[in-house]
Amino acid sequence: MKRIIIAFTLLTLAVGLKAQQTDTTKKAGGKTSSTDSLLNAMSPEDKHQDVIGAFKATRLIFSQTTTTVKRNNLNFLVIHRFGDMGTPTGGARTLFGLDAINDVYIGFEYGLSDNLNVDFGRNTIGQLIEIGLKYAVLHQKMDDSSPIAITFLGEYGVRPYGSFSSYSARNSYLGQAIISRRFTSALSLQVSPIYVYDNTAMPDVAGNDKGFFALSGALRYKVSKHMALVVDYEHPFSSFRTGANGFSDPLGFGIEVETGGHVFTLNISNARAISEISSLSSTQADYGRGQFRLGFTISRMFDFNHHEQWKTNN
Amino acid sequence: MHQAGQDNYVCKNVKVNLFSSAPIEDIEANSTSGVSVYNPGTGELDFSIPVRSFHFPKALMEEHFNSDYIESDKFPKATFKGKIQERIDVTKDGSYPITVTGDFQVHGVTQPRTITGNLKVSGGVVTMTSEFMVKCVDHHIEIPQIVFHHIAESIRVRVSATYTALKNNNSSK
Repeated sequence: MKRIIIAFTLLTLAVGLKAQQTDTTKKAGGKTSSTDSLLNAMSPEDKHQDVIGAFKATRLIFSQTTTTVKRNNLNFLVIHRFGDMGTPTGGARTLFGLDAINDVYIGFEYGLSDNLNVDFGRNTIGQLIEIGLKYAVLHQKMDDSSPIAITFLGEYGVRPYGSFSSYSARNSYLGQAIISRRFTSALSLQVSPIYVYDNTAMPDVAGNDKGFFALSGALRYKVSKHMALVVDYEHPFSSFRTGANGFSDPLGFGIEVETGGHVFTLNISNARAISEISSLSSTQADYGRGQFRLGFTISRMFDFNHHEQWKTNN
Repeated sequence: MHQAGQDNYVCKNVKVNLFSSAPIEDIEANSTSGVSVYNPGTGELDFSIPVRSFHFPKALMEEHFNSDYIESDKFPKATFKGKIQERIDVTKDGSYPITVTGDFQVHGVTQPRTITGNLKVSGGVVTMTSEFMVKCVDHHIEIPQIVFHHIAESIRVRVSATYTALKNNNSSK
């Protein structure tokens, strides 16, 4: 299974390198005067520009995207995961899990620059507080001089409550390289090699790995200018986190609606946890056992760049 | 021998300002990367503006302008190819009101337009300014109902360009 996933992601990236978008600019009019040819010579098409909108949001379902919050912008996030839909605690009595809240994340992402973000948030599960740094090192270019975008993300997580042997035992770390490509104006894919280290193995049972590699893959497909379908999948490469030990790979499906300033994602996933640290470490919910849930992400962007100040600079 | 006043005049930093009054906040953008060619002999006046060169005060406005409204991936340039109706003598200093008739292309849709402006000649330097309105519907620019940065149905466009004569003795390619 692991090999299949890796082979598939590499294949899709490789195919994408060849699938360059063609330019559909039409030549205007039939006349070719000297001014025309001079104008054309003076305005060569600049294709060496960043591709816009591989992802509208900084987050999909579990994954963060290569997209960063722009300078002096603040993204406010509220993410929910409800209770099981298909287990005895689900069903119509709890309105398919809506009465139970498994996890809530409230957080902020701020753009120190267009490429460097700092984020801060808190999760219900484990009372996990996360502080992160995200840096966009490479942007995808229209002319494919850079066919992909790469963003690095580092997260520090701490669990201030609960009984731990020491302060450091409360900590978790996550590092990942997010690699994305917008293949067409509608289709974007990303893969992220991830390393997670929990100072206390999560869950804390004998034989569980504290540190492990993981890979996530996500897809976004635009169905209209403001709506897209998203699929998000994660796989931890941990010898302990197997189906036999009750673990499942997080898999989510969602609809993303963008209204300019807001991005709203409605999703279904098996993972109860929102934080990637937690969902990679300890997802034991399985679709086959009815352990899937509704979730949503609300993201609201605040821009602190002022029009009046912009006017004086322009 | 080259006739005086028959050279092409060029401008490589055409300034274009877009303005839309909107319910929540006015939307404005500037570009200084347009190019223009003016031929006083024939009266031809052409513009080409890369739409990605428009910069907005807010990052999301710029993103929506490019991806939702103007679709700059598909239609990277806005162009105007026209002819000044009046006869202008660029060897004489002065300020001339002009009427330019031509094809205006935005968002891949071409519309015949007659646009008025002003042309000023001062010591061999030609300066052109114009202000006109562009209706989104004329260029099939959809205004979605649910978006936050709602733009007006008509956008005010201000253009200014300063031209210098291009000695084009061997410019025919």
